[in-house]
Amino acid sequence: MKTMFELSVYEIVGSSLCVAASDGQKVYERLKAGLNEDKSVSLSFRNVCALTSAFLNTAIGQLYGEFTEEKVRTLLALEEIDADDRELVRRVVETAKLYFKDKNYVNRVIDEERGV
Amino acid sequence: MPTMGGMQDCEALAQIYHETIDSKFDDVEIDMGNVNWFDADLCAPFGAILYSISQQLNNVQLVNLIPHVRNALARNGFLSYYGSEWFTYGFGTTIEYKRFDVKDDRYFAEYIQDKLMRRTEIPNMSDGLRKKFQESIFEIFNNAVIHSGTKHGIFSCGQYFPKRQWLNFTIADLGVGIPWNVRQFQGLHDLAAAEAIDWATSDNNTTKRGSVPGGLGLKLLREFINKNEGEIQIVSDLGYWECSSGPPKLAAMERRFPGTFVRICINTGDTNSYALDSERSNSNIL
Repeated sequence: MKTMFELSVYEIVGSSLCVAASDGQKVYERLKAGLNEDKSVSLSFRNVCALTSAFLNTAIGQLYGEFTEEKVRTLLALEEIDADDRELVRRVVETAKLYFKDKNYVNRVIDEERGV
Repeated sequence: MPTMGGMQDCEALAQIYHETIDSKFDDVEIDMGNVNWFDADLCAPFGAILYSISQQLNNVQLVNLIPHVRNALARNGFLSYYGSEWFTYGFGTTIEYKRFDVKDDRYFAEYIQDKLMRRTEIPNMSDGLRKKFQESIFEIFNNAVIHSGTKHGIFSCGQYFPKRQWLNFTIADLGVGIPWNVRQFQGLHDLAAAEAIDWATSDNNTTKRGSVPGGLGLKLLREFINKNEGEIQIVSDLGYWECSSGPPKLAAMERRFPGTFVRICINTGDTNSYALDSERSNSNIL
């Protein structure tokens, strides 16, 4: 059985326009399945010509709510990604880490405001 | 520097909504006789309001249109929704008016490609600018999909001004509005609507809950428009927020807009480089 497998964003989405959160969810499901089994995953962005934060939040950002930073960093590799798309991923990842770090606190504040 | 019509245009649109809000099973005529200029991209929020009127089973008609306003609204397909024949002479410098459902994100992406990016009438922007512009539009659309909660769709339209090298594009929804979302999130129920919009476009602030993080779309948009020396207007509920160079302008509308519209004006003559250096991109970002 392979310990490392390759995923193509273009193949999963079926389009070079990777902009919708619903498409990001399809990528997330595959990544999650691999990481759950401790597989190394190479995620290729070949043929992708547009990305959004909503797509990346769902596809990659969401991983940080499920797995440790160390696990994501160790098992996931991004391939064939443009420098500016890579910068967008960096910001999404940075925001996701903050989001999950503060999520419990934020939810608590909201519950307090609502008198829950 | 590009400029768009100011707050008074937004007030006029909100006024139409308020003057027709109680109409039901009626004929509603919008008298356009005093309108001698209409920024065609504003068909997006205008169409949203007319859609909400027709949802109350009213018959909507636009009357007394002067010829060049009629021409502008016909050319982008807007008037065909209100009884006119489809305009058959091409879109020219307009970007077709369309209504989308929230699940139409793929269809919207194709519309942007076909009606905007592949059109020969649209200016020859640098590759980096073209990509940023396209992604900004997708960010606005996603923002409406994720946050508005609209059941009435998302409306979009654009207009290019070749001599001025401006391209306006507007996306509107009939959802809960940014202020409602921010107040719910922050629990600050007395936060002014415009301040709520400002909060949503700043730092890492997000109204997102649940397993998928958020809070970047409007910030990316603001950064891009700032570098491009373009302009953004956001109208949501009673809030008016505008940003070009310098600090944003915040104001309270007299009447609420029943949702949100985001309007961008980009400078198509922008020669800034949007490419990042490869050294920065080599570090492990995960």
